[in-house]
Order: sequence, then C-alpha cells, then structure tokens
Amino acid sequence: MIGALLVAAPAFAQTSGFDIPTGAPRSPLFGAREWTQPVLLFEEFGLQAMPTGSCLTCQPLPQAQSCTAGPTGPALDTFLRQRLWPMPTEAANTTRGNYWAPRVGACVRPLATSAVEGRPPGVWFSHQRWNEFYPQAYFQTAMAGARVNNGLRDRWQRHGYTRGEFANGQLYYRGGTTRGIGVRFHPSFPIQQPNSVWTFDGTMPPKLLQARIGEPILFRHFNTLPVDPSANNGFGAHTITTHEHNGHNPAESDGFAGAFFFPGQFYDYHWPMQLAGRDSINTDASDPRAGRPDGAGGVTQVRGDWRETMSTHWFHDHMLDYTAQNVYKGNAAMMNYYSAVDRGREGFQCNYTNASNANLCLPSGSDLDWGNRDYDVNLLIADKAWNSAGQLFFNIFNTDGFLGDQVLVNWTWRPYLDVRARRYRFRILDGAVSRNFQLALVTGSGVRVPFHMVANDGNIMEHAVRFPNAQSQDLPEIAIAERYDIVVDFSRFAPGTRLYFVNLLEFTIGRGPKRTIPLADVLSGRYRGDPAVGKIMEFRVMPYDGVDQSMNPADYEEGGRVMIPRPEVPADVLQTAYRRDFEFTRSGGTDEEPWTIRTNGGNGLPTDLHRVSAAPETGRWEIWRLHSGGGWQHPVHIHFEEGRILTRDGLAPPLWERGARKDVFRVGDNPTGHASGELEVLIRFREFLGTFVEHCHNTQHEDNSMLLRWDARAPGQVVAIPTPVPEWEGVYYEPTYDLPQDGDDPNRP
Amino acid sequence: MLKRLRMLVAIVAAMGTVWFAPQAPAQEQWGRDYFPNVVLRDHNGRELRFYDDIIRGKVVSINFIYTTCTELCPLDTAQLRRVQQVLGDRVGRDIHMYTISLNPTRDTPEQLRQFMRTYDVGPGWTFLTGSAADVQLLQRRLGLRPVDETNLREHDASIIMGNERTHQWIRRTAYENPNLLADLLGGRLFNYAGRGSQTRQTYAAAGEVTDRSHGYYLFRTRCQSCHTIGEGDRLGPDLAGVSRTRDPAWLTRWIREPDRMIAERDPTALALLARYRNLPMPNLSLNDAEANAIVDYLGRQDAEASSGRREGAGR
Repeated sequence: MIGALLVAAPAFAQTSGFDIPTGAPRSPLFGAREWTQPVLLFEEFGLQAMPTGSCLTCQPLPQAQSCTAGPTGPALDTFLRQRLWPMPTEAANTTRGNYWAPRVGACVRPLATSAVEGRPPGVWFSHQRWNEFYPQAYFQTAMAGARVNNGLRDRWQRHGYTRGEFANGQLYYRGGTTRGIGVRFHPSFPIQQPNSVWTFDGTMPPKLLQARIGEPILFRHFNTLPVDPSANNGFGAHTITTHEHNGHNPAESDGFAGAFFFPGQFYDYHWPMQLAGRDSINTDASDPRAGRPDGAGGVTQVRGDWRETMSTHWFHDHMLDYTAQNVYKGNAAMMNYYSAVDRGREGFQCNYTNASNANLCLPSGSDLDWGNRDYDVNLLIADKAWNSAGQLFFNIFNTDGFLGDQVLVNWTWRPYLDVRARRYRFRILDGAVSRNFQLALVTGSGVRVPFHMVANDGNIMEHAVRFPNAQSQDLPEIAIAERYDIVVDFSRFAPGTRLYFVNLLEFTIGRGPKRTIPLADVLSGRYRGDPAVGKIMEFRVMPYDGVDQSMNPADYEEGGRVMIPRPEVPADVLQTAYRRDFEFTRSGGTDEEPWTIRTNGGNGLPTDLHRVSAAPETGRWEIWRLHSGGGWQHPVHIHFEEGRILTRDGLAPPLWERGARKDVFRVGDNPTGHASGELEVLIRFREFLGTFVEHCHNTQHEDNSMLLRWDARAPGQVVAIPTPVPEWEGVYYEPTYDLPQDGDDPNRP
Repeated sequence: MLKRLRMLVAIVAAMGTVWFAPQAPAQEQWGRDYFPNVVLRDHNGRELRFYDDIIRGKVVSINFIYTTCTELCPLDTAQLRRVQQVLGDRVGRDIHMYTISLNPTRDTPEQLRQFMRTYDVGPGWTFLTGSAADVQLLQRRLGLRPVDETNLREHDASIIMGNERTHQWIRRTAYENPNLLADLLGGRLFNYAGRGSQTRQTYAAAGEVTDRSHGYYLFRTRCQSCHTIGEGDRLGPDLAGVSRTRDPAWLTRWIREPDRMIAERDPTALALLARYRNLPMPNLSLNDAEANAIVDYLGRQDAEASSGRREGAGR
C-alpha cells in the first residue's frame, strides 16, 4: 500500500511511509523562521443597515478584465463600498442579465438570456418567511482572486482601531488599517498569484461576520472569479455556493450543492438568525435569556428557545464536486453569533454575579456593548502545501483525502500571538480538507497548560469541561469543520513567557488519523514523520494592568453553575423517535469501490442531487444512527440543525460531548479514542423547509460521492422540490425522486 | 519513464527520504509533465500515446475494465453505453470515451473488438490495452488505487472525466445516472457551453414526488441501463408485457441468478442470449425481496399500460 503510494508520486520527496503533502514534494520555506510574524486577526465584514428606496448613482459590478481575470482591485473596492443595489427580492432577481454577459459571450458563447442573480428562480428557492424576517442588516463581498488589501473594511470594524486592544499603542495595533496586507503566508514567502488563492474580497486577513441573534441578515455574494475555468492555477472551480455551517437557515439560503452560481452573478443569502423553536417555544418573547444585545446596554428579547443559542459558526463553499478545492483555496470565513447569553462583553450584568443574569461573560473585553474581540480570538487552523514557486498546491487526483505538510493559523505560517496575562477565549475551527488535529497547549519547557472547553461545534455547553481530564490530556481530536471554544488563563504566567499549540495527531495518508504521538517525542524532536505534527503557534504573554471581569470557567464545571442547558426532550423520546440509519461506506465493501452512503440498510449510493434519501417531517424528533466500517474516518455533517450524541458504540459519549449540541459527528476509525464506529444522534428540524444535505466533511470524500440530499417537509407534504440545474443562461429544474420510504419505519431496530 | 520510475522506487526504498527536481509552474500542473505518455494499443491494433494522442486538448472519459468480468462490471459498460447514446454523435467529435483493459494478457485487440460488438459500442469510444506496468501507472496518475491481473476483482469502477485543456478532472462512478454523466461530459467540462443530455424540463412538470416503490427504484438503478418499458430494445429486450409473457417464478429467478440459468442451459435463457449478441444478463446480487419488488413493478407497469396510463420512467 505505502509502496504503491510512493510510486504514485515519483517526482516527490517523501519521508518513508508518509504521503505528505499528498502526491507532491515538501513545501519550501524560503528561509523563513518560525515565530517571526504575528498571527493575522480576522477582519470583520461589517454589517450595514438595510437601505431603502432606489439608488440613482449606483454602478453595476465592474467588468472582468479578461477571460482569465476578474475586475481590478480598486474597481472592486469602489463597487463594494457602494450601498446594496439592486434591492433584494423574495424570488431570485431575473429582471436583468449577468453583469458580465458580454464577456461570457466572448469567452464562452453568446448568451441568449441570463440572470443577474444565480439563485434558482421561482417559488422553490424564494426566501421563506421573507416579510416576517425581512433583513435588518446586510453585507456584501465578492469571491475574488488574491490581491492586496486596500483597507476597504477599515471603517466597518466594530473596534474601529480605536477601542481596547485594537487602539493605538495596544496589543493588536498595526497602523489602524489592513491596507497593504498582501496574500502571503509569511513575509519571506512569495505573494500568492490571483488564481492561487480565491477568497472573500480576494484579501487577507481572513474574514469574520459578527452577527446577532434575531437580527435577520442579507448576504449578497458576488462571484468575480475568472470566466475561463482553466484560470485556476491547477485547482478550484469558478462556480460557487455558500453554506453557513449549522445556521438555522431556510434551504434556499443553505448553500445547496446544486444551487451554485456563475462569474458575473450574485446570490442573495437570507439568514433569519432566529432561535430554533421560534414557532413553539417562548412565543411571547418573554424570556430575557432569549435575545440579542441592543447596542445600548439592553437586550432585545426575541421568540424561541434560548437553549438553542449558537455562537461560533463558519461559512464556506459547498460546490458539487469541488468543495475541497474551493475551501482549501480560500472560500471560508468565520461567523460569531452574539446573544443575551453570549454577548461578547465581560463585566456587564454577569451571570456569575447573579444567576438571573443571562450574560455568561466569557472572555472578550468590555469596551463595546457587544462583540468585543480583545480577548476573544478566532483561530482557523488548516494544513496547506505550496509548490516550488510558493504558490498554493492541491492534488486534484487524490480522493482518499489531501494532506498538506504545513499548518497555517489564520493563513499565517507559524505565527505568534501577543496575549495579556489574563483569560482568553479561543474559537478554534479545523478548516482543513482531510486533516484532524489534536492540540496540546504547553509552555516552552513542555509543561501542559490547563484550560476549559466551553463550546463544542460553536454551541455553548451545559458545563465547562476542564483539560487535562480523565479522558483526555489535551484538546480532544478536532475533525474537519468542528469547532471548539476554549478558555485559557494566561494570568498564571509571567510576562515574557512563551507557550505553544502543538499538534499531536499523526496522519500518513488522507483516509484518517493514524495515532496520537506522545508530547515528549514531539517536543524532543525524536518524532520524525508527519511534518504537520509539531508546534503550530506561539503565545507571548504580555503584562496586563486591567481587571479580568470574565467568568471563571471552573465555576461552570459539572456540579457547578450551568452555562446553557440543552433543549428539553419528551421523556419517552427514545421509544417514540423516528429512526433512520446512514452508513458511510464503499458500495462494494472493498476499498476500491466508490464512496457511498447507505440509507436504512438499502443500497450504497453515490451522490445524485435529484434523489431525496430522507424526508423528515418538521417538528418530529428523530434518531439518526451514523456508522462506518474500519480503515477510514468520516466527520459527518448534517445541515440545518445540530443534534445531541446519545451514544457512541452504545456507550455514553466522552465528557466534552455529553452536554453538547453537535453538527459534526466523527465515525469510523478511532485511533485516539475520541470517535467511534457508530453513534446515535437525536435531532429535530423546525421552522423552515426545503432541500438540505448530509455528508462527510472530509471534503475529498464529500466531493467523491459521500453526500446525500434530504428534504425537510411539512407534515403531509407530497410535492418534492425539483432539482435545480444551473447554467450560464439561468437555472433550470429537473424532477426529483424519493428513495423508497417503506424501509423508513418509525422505531426500526 | 518506467525505468526511471523503477529506479525511483529503488531509491525510495533504500533511502527513505529523497528530493527531486521541482515541478513545473502551477499552470502546467496537470499537463504533459504529469500524465505519462505511455503507448497503448487500441482495439484495432493501432498504437496511441496516452498524452499526445488520447487526452491532449480533449474532453475525455476514461475507465478501466476487464472483458471477462461477470459481476458488476457489465453494468458499468452498459451505463457508459447509455452515456454514449445520450451524447449521440458528439462522441468521437468533441467528446472521447476510453476504456482501458486491466488484463492485457487476455484482452487482445481481437478480444476487445468482440467485447465491443457484444455491447453494441458505437464510434468514438476506444478500447485500449497496454503493458501491465503502463496500465498500473495510468491508474495511479488518474488517482485510482491500481490493480493488476492478480486482484482484478478489486478494481476501481470509477469513471475519470476531464478536460485536458482546462485542467479540470472529476471522478464519478458508473452507478450514477447516465444522464448526469452525460451532462458532466457534454456540459460542465465545456464550461457549461452546451447541454449533454435531454431537453430541459419545464418548471411546472418538475414538482411531483415520484413513485416511491422499491421496485421502481431498483428498476431505475439496476435495469434501466439495458432495458426500457415500451421504448424499444436497448442492450437487452424491451420489457413491456414481460409480466404476461413470462412465468413469474421464472422471471424472478432470471433476475436473481441469470448466470446459473444460462449454465443450466435453460432454453429461454439461451434463446435470449443468442438474440442479444451473446451478452449475458449479469448477476447483480439481488435478493429474493428485491427481485420480487422488480417483478411487482413490471407487473404494475403492464397493468397501467393496458389501462392507458403509465408512470414516467424518467431520470
């Protein structure tokens, strides 16, 4: 097996037995030294108030420069600075053609017809409950080739470069602008070419949306990628669709894999930001824990179940066949939800001072009414590889999974972060294609530093979980798309102390993790194997003269205070829930057969977006059994709703999954003891209908058919949403068919 | 190329870690430097170089089979035959289909020609054979785990579809809907410059939940690549009326284990074999319940046809 892989990649350097980076030589480092650059902190998109009325001066999307390039950077900035126009519509806007129709005509073929919005037209992909949740705020961006940041969003940063640690003279101040930041992973590395990295605005730092529960958002996403698909520096598709991972969003705004759109178009995503249970729980909005900060020290109460409050999300591409390539190439952003319970403001009406206060006061800062990021830091971790010219590389022919040899944090190579000697919240996202991580936090001398996990998959848990604990010394395995929010207290360290995140999880090939390497072997240099095992980030403790007013997570451990309890379930739910079974497998049972998902013991099936494999009724409790054979691991992601893990291999899940609401479920091989061959998830779908998917989030597996479509239907609904088929001219529909539902019995064994 | 490869393997084995020359600039990543230009032999005995003659500048589909395969592979070829029919005369013109034998010892050009006749393969679809080492190398470079003549049954049934000029490559399986494969080849790989398959459905027609029966599902995924109901013969007979012309028990067994019935020289089976170019119906490992579900479905179709309505056998 290993011999075969080496032969498969003859022109490449390999450590024996490790196909890393997958099918390519090691990434050159151009003489860069580690811990010589600060980590890039996320740049906020910045929400704007929804405009009203028409705009007489608004200009259309600037033209592509050629078949192989988008608009110039300055032209794109000028356009994105302009207000939202045309106004969004309930059904897709097909009143005018693709902005680039003449260019497409010259580069592809003349278009007899086209639409400015790529959303499938008509009622099927109209915004659900549009008037009820009409957007109160919007942001717009373009998926664009790498370019220098001209400071477009400086004025939209909530901190304004004048508040807290972002102000002049404080920790993060670097001139008060992102102007001049290019797309490169280290100052010693080459700048990425426009077609090597495709990302939001085309610029670094990576982008963050700060949003509030109950404030509906309109996200207009322009596609300004090259019209010619060959202009991609070796990987990536120029058609895109954007999925807000675990958003409680209607299907037409979920980023369905088959609802992609083309260069020269936009797609309006409508994110209502409602608490699940809105239609049935707290319908008079009387619960003060269900709400959002109002910007002036108060809470605007909203309907719904406060126990469904969400915190750390991300959104990313979900293009059929190309998710791995496009996400790897830069189509990923993070999104923080702020709420009455998770306000991003410490020291203000804290729950720890009075149990009737909603605000948990997780570490953040206190300068703004909500969304302080001084001590609340998003960290996107992903392995990458680049070629001899330093340009991002991806192996499009590997389908076991692609591994990079270098780990980037927020797109920076081995960066440091200055931290105050106080508590911090880190929102950690595994944004890789096929690599899970297991992170130890250690001092320079290799001593483990304790910390608490407070949120799993972006949802605050019932109790904080202390690490090290009986089940895990370090941060447990985090799979692709999983998020762990942790709280670290740096106050115990003298200024000048340096600490490190160390990755311990070894891969040899992209199928799944191999083993956990002992920390001592990694730190001593005895371990030589997977080049992504080792230190990935440094923390430098700086003096703190403020007062840390954040909650002490130790107070919220099991037996102590509760953070967010999980939603109530009927006492007999285990007996009455509707059961389904999904096996992530290969259709023929051997490794050489194609990836498939087997539903309810039926035939293993590859992806066909025309096929509805499950059609759960809204409002009904269901138990989904997810399982997989050995030799592989699949982080399974179910769209639209998080669930709770009832059992792993029939036993209680580990500590950090017990009080958690999850949207990614690791099944299959389990070398770390943190996954399992099978698990049961309790889940329920509410408020919105439509076409969603469930898939393996090893995106190489997802792109090779480990993805199925399921539709949320209203009780009694007999009409299947037809299957959209997008083309340059517009989106057409084809019939949908259902899998046989006869094997789909309630309480099936 | 191969010699160099063998040498590299030896070096890798000896040293553990090796460095090689940097690869070509990014734009050339998936071009001449990546694909081996090995010489293959087509079903007419012509020699073709893989990169220069077979894929360079073209939209192609490539899959690997062996002609003596009796399990699921016949379904693969039948599915691709459907793809070829859907794409019509574009195959050979701007879309090129290639099937490469994994069993070069047995699959001579003559054997490949006979196989093509059995499956009624049309022009524009080339069958190829080559040295065992070259075929293994091609499998690897196309992202497949290679098999050789000793483990043929584990071969990867993927279909690799690509546009060499635009460096786009997509892997799908033969179990997929032939129309989807045709759309990929004829549409997406041409930058959506044209539709691969059928005409577009009207918006209004698309909304009904289709037949949810297990029989319909099995028919669509297991039978439809070779059979129609009332639309004429494909590789196998038109099945309209089959529930009346055949004894149900015979039909059920024929669906379950056609290979055994042929081996037992069942007269009806042999007659069918002779009539359909000696292409045996494959054993698709269906169980009793599945075979019954298909027979039920066929019976319903016949009943509805005689009463004047029939479910659409669309996608």
